[in-house]
Formats: sequence, structure tokens, C-alpha cells
Amino acid sequence: MNSVLVLILGFVVAFIGYRIYAKYIDAKIIKSDPKRATPAKMYMDGVEFMPTSKNILFGYQFKSIAGAAPIIGPIIAIQWGWLPALIWILAGAFFIGWVQDYSTAMMAMRNEGASFGGLSHKLISPRARIILLAFIYFYLLLIAGAFGNVVVSTAIALKAAPMAWLLLTVGGVLAGQMIYRWRKDIILTTVVTVVIALLGIWLGTIAPSDKIIGATLANSRVLWAIAACVFCYFAAVLPIWRFALPINYVASYIVFLGLFFGIIGIFIIHPNFTLPAYTNFSIKIGPIWPIMFVTIACGAISGWHSIVSSSGTARQLENEMDARPVGAGVMFVEMMLALFALIIAGTIFTSSAEYGTAIAKGPGAIFAGGVAKFLGALGLPATVGRSYGSVMMIVLAITIMQLVIRFMRVATSELLSDISPIFRNAHIGTFIASFLTIVIILTGWWQYLWVLFGGANQLMASLALMLVTAWLMSEGKPTAWVFYPMIFMFITTIAALIYTSYSLLQKVLSGAVKGEALIGNTLMGLVGIFLVLAALVLATEGIKAFKRYKTIRREAAAAKA
Amino acid sequence: MSEGEKKKGGFFQAIKEFIYGVAAHDSARFAMKSRASMEHLFILITMGDMLGVPILPPYYSLRLLPYVVPQISTWKRRMLREKDLTDALA
Repeated sequence: MNSVLVLILGFVVAFIGYRIYAKYIDAKIIKSDPKRATPAKMYMDGVEFMPTSKNILFGYQFKSIAGAAPIIGPIIAIQWGWLPALIWILAGAFFIGWVQDYSTAMMAMRNEGASFGGLSHKLISPRARIILLAFIYFYLLLIAGAFGNVVVSTAIALKAAPMAWLLLTVGGVLAGQMIYRWRKDIILTTVVTVVIALLGIWLGTIAPSDKIIGATLANSRVLWAIAACVFCYFAAVLPIWRFALPINYVASYIVFLGLFFGIIGIFIIHPNFTLPAYTNFSIKIGPIWPIMFVTIACGAISGWHSIVSSSGTARQLENEMDARPVGAGVMFVEMMLALFALIIAGTIFTSSAEYGTAIAKGPGAIFAGGVAKFLGALGLPATVGRSYGSVMMIVLAITIMQLVIRFMRVATSELLSDISPIFRNAHIGTFIASFLTIVIILTGWWQYLWVLFGGANQLMASLALMLVTAWLMSEGKPTAWVFYPMIFMFITTIAALIYTSYSLLQKVLSGAVKGEALIGNTLMGLVGIFLVLAALVLATEGIKAFKRYKTIRREAAAAKA
Repeated sequence: MSEGEKKKGGFFQAIKEFIYGVAAHDSARFAMKSRASMEHLFILITMGDMLGVPILPPYYSLRLLPYVVPQISTWKRRMLREKDLTDALA
């Protein structure tokens, strides 16, 4: 199959999904009303509640949800064949992905911009709030571990990456200094710092890490895990304008340019898929159902999006009619990003064996190879293209990782400061979060870690859909379009988490793993079981809430009659 | 301005806003959040006079009070709104 056909298929699905399905739900079921005052207008505080243009929110939502996950998922999942992955990306985004992103934004908007904690308390039960928030903490730990692993494997597989990463950091810090301290013009700042970052990409090719620090250190997982956590440490403890935000600012240009020209490259080269359409039902990381459905998370459906939609976007939408372009529209763009990654993985290798060798080194090398190939169509040398792809992958992973560690620092302070005031210290909270992340990175096998992260992420999505179902029931609106996706996601993710946790713990109990793998398997297996238990308790609370709403409706109908 | 020019302007404006949304909207929001935190502290300083219980020497806080009054309703909403861990993420 030709890659351009896949892109065209993606455009068709996005068009039908956005213009017909989403429009129908928006107009007939949710009944968006342009005259209804949104929380952004009602509670405008100039900070969190702020009416904002839909174009700005489109960019904000895209930037917030498009991390490394929509790229890495398809690259791993192609091990089952490209056809199942393609079908899941298209069907997942069409039936579930946009439904979640749009409906969570709508639900938060119609509930005065409340976040998940408040919504679960109001719509389900007080206990649901506590369990949901505990769930989110461990879910975030898995994100930090999985993305940290991507950073480490990319830095080892592509020796140009560390230099590019270093100069991107320098450019970012300089951007912060120029904007906030020296008050320089934003265009000048952007040009100077993006050029520094691009220079780093080129320098990486002539000064690879093994030439500078030697092959042993350049291949050390410990070194790069510490480097990633030190980076996140600065992001968590320094003022946000000094480090995290300006680096994200410069990085967004690198990522955006790479994706834009990469997609043009696909149209120029329009390669055919070289890997098989279907391989086996069961591979090393598990069977196609349920494991593939959690391996590809963000390109099809992701719980992370629901957090951004409810706590971020819903408080800024100035018009209810904007929820569809921002919530649903961005999800379909992310679907295209996942298809881009699928095309990369499926077309750049001549055989499955070649892919197998590459995937063993991590997904970063494959992505960088694809970026090099498609940017090469525009005349960029392959070595520079690979360096560009590697820094894109690092940036996509570490921007989410630093946000998560910063958040875990705050959460540690809130959860443990009653035990001892020492936990209020920002450095202690960050150290705990970084330490846990390093332990997971260094001891866990990255493919299992990815599946666990995907499972937790998708489970978060099904819990978000459960909240939306409860909200629709409380409003007396049709629920089938949310309820059935929720049931599918819930069963699939619980099965995936149980399967993976069982595989991990079974190896521990049978003595098949020793040393660092013993720690990694035990830790990941226990986190997986905790997430399953938390989700089951939440589901029980959810069912009680559904019954409550049904009874209320029935009684109301009887009273009317 | 003709209809065509309006459309063209609209398109470029949309692109400009999209790039702003991707690159800088987050930074602007964080800057506003920091400013709001500072303003909250400021309001707390003058809280005593609002309640009629002087906490700082009243002369200074009374001088500050006029700057705070326009913010009171927003401050009250922000302080009383239920917050949870997800607020830190988006």
C-alpha cells in the first residue's frame, strides 16, 4: 500500500468524523449554543478563566496533547503489522478519540469549568474524587518513566542527539533571558535562539557524544537517565520563565518545522509499505488484543487529552461552538501525526529483520531515520536529518516529562507535608519524583513500560468517558455515543494492565529475573495492579451513580405522568 | 477592505494565532498565574483592613486598599474555587 493513500484515507476519516459525526453530536445531542455564556466569560479572572480565540486554543491544545506518544505507539505497534495499527488509529480516533476530547471539554464548560476532582465528586461520589486523584499520581509516574526511557534510548542510539539537546537547552535559556530580563524583541529572540538550536543539530553530526565523552559514557544508560532527570530537576525548581517555558518555546519551532517538512517529504517520495500488513496475533509484548490497543494511545485515544480539555481548554473557550474545532479538530490532527509515524515505521526498512534490529535500540532511532529520509527529499543531508529527528524525539518526550516531574513535586508536597515539613521543600519533592523516575527508567524493560503507560493512559480515558456518561445521564441526554466507547476502553485497558502486570510479576515470582530487572518488574507490576484496583473501585462507584440517575429520571417521568 | 482581502487577513490572522497558541500561549498563562499569586499575597496584606482588623500598621495598608478593591471579586472566586491536582497540569 502506498503511504500517500494512507494519508488520504486519514484525511477522509477526519473529514467525515469532524464534518458529519462530530457536527451531528454537537448540534443534536449537546446542542451547543453560541449565546450561552461560557465559564471563560462568566468567571473571567484574566488568568485561568479567559476568553481566548479558537485559533489560539487550537494551537494550545495541539501543543499540549502532541507529545512523543502518538509517534512512539505506532512505531512499536507495527510489530503486529501495519494494517491492524492503521485500523485502530482510524477507528479509535473516529469513534472514541474525538468523542472524549470534545465531550470532556463540553462537560467541564457546562459545569462552570470544574476540574476532574470536582466533577467526580459532584457526578459520581466523594470517594471517587480521592481514588481518581491517587490514580492520576501513579499514572504520571508511569508517564515520566516511559518518556524518560525514550530520552535515554534516543541519546544512546543517536550520538548526535546529546549535542543537539544541549544547544537547544542553551538556546531556550537564552530565550528566557532575552525576553524576560533583557526585554528584547520577540522576533529577534526567536530567530537567534532557533538558529542556535539548529546549529546544535548540525554540530551534533560533527561532534557526536562518543567522540567527546568516549564510547563507554556515551552508551551509559545511567548517565543519560541522570541527565534527563537533572534537566527535569531544573525545570521543576527554577522559575518557570527561566527554564521550562522558553525551552518549550524554542522546541516548538523545531518540532513544528520538522513535522511540516516531513509531511511534504512523504508526498514527494510517496513510498510503499515494506513491512508486512499483518504478522502474528501474539508477539513478545503480548497479544494484539488488548495490548496493541494500549500500545497506540495518543493517536487513537488518550486520557491525557481529557485533563487538558477539562482543566485547561474548557476554561478558555469563548463560545460553545468552538469546542468542536478545538476538542475534536485537534484530535484528528493528532491522528494524522500517528499516521505519519506509522508511515515512517512501515516504509523506511527493507525487511522485518532490519526493523527488528532497529526497534531493539528504541523508537527514537526509527523516528530519526524516517525524519532523515523525508527531509532528505527536500535536500537535507541524511546525517543532519537523523540528528534533527533525534532532537525532535527527545524534545517531544522531555517536555512532557519535565511537566510531570514539576507536578509530582507539587503533589508530593501536598500529600506528605503533614507527615513532615521537610516534604514542603521544593528540592526534596523534586528529588523524590526524579529518584522514582530514574529507578523505573533503569530497571524496567521499555516496551513493557510503554504498554503499562498506554494502559494507564487509556484507562484514564475510560474514566473520563465514565464521568461524561454520568453527566449526560444527569442531563437526560442520549449516552450511547460515549457509553459504548467507555465499555470497550475499560475492558480493554483492564485486560491489558492485568496481562502486563501478571507477566511482570510472574517473572519475579518464578525467579526468572534478577538484579535490576527484579526491581523494575516488581515496581511496574505493583503499580499496574494498583491502577487496576483503583479503576475497579471507580467503576463500582460509577455504576452506583448510573443507577441513581436512572432512578431519578424514572421517578421524574412517573411524576409527570 | 474587500471581501477577498478580509478572507486573506482572516487566514493569516488564524495562522498567526495558531503559532502563538503552539509556541507562547502557555508561557503567557504561566506569567498570568504568577502575577495572580502575587496579587493574592497583596490582597492578604490588606485583608485586615477589609475586615476591619488591622494586621499591618493601618496607614500603609489603607494606602494600598484602592489598588486591591477592583480585584476582590476575582480573588474571591479564585480562592473559593475547588482545585485539584489536574489544575497544575493544564
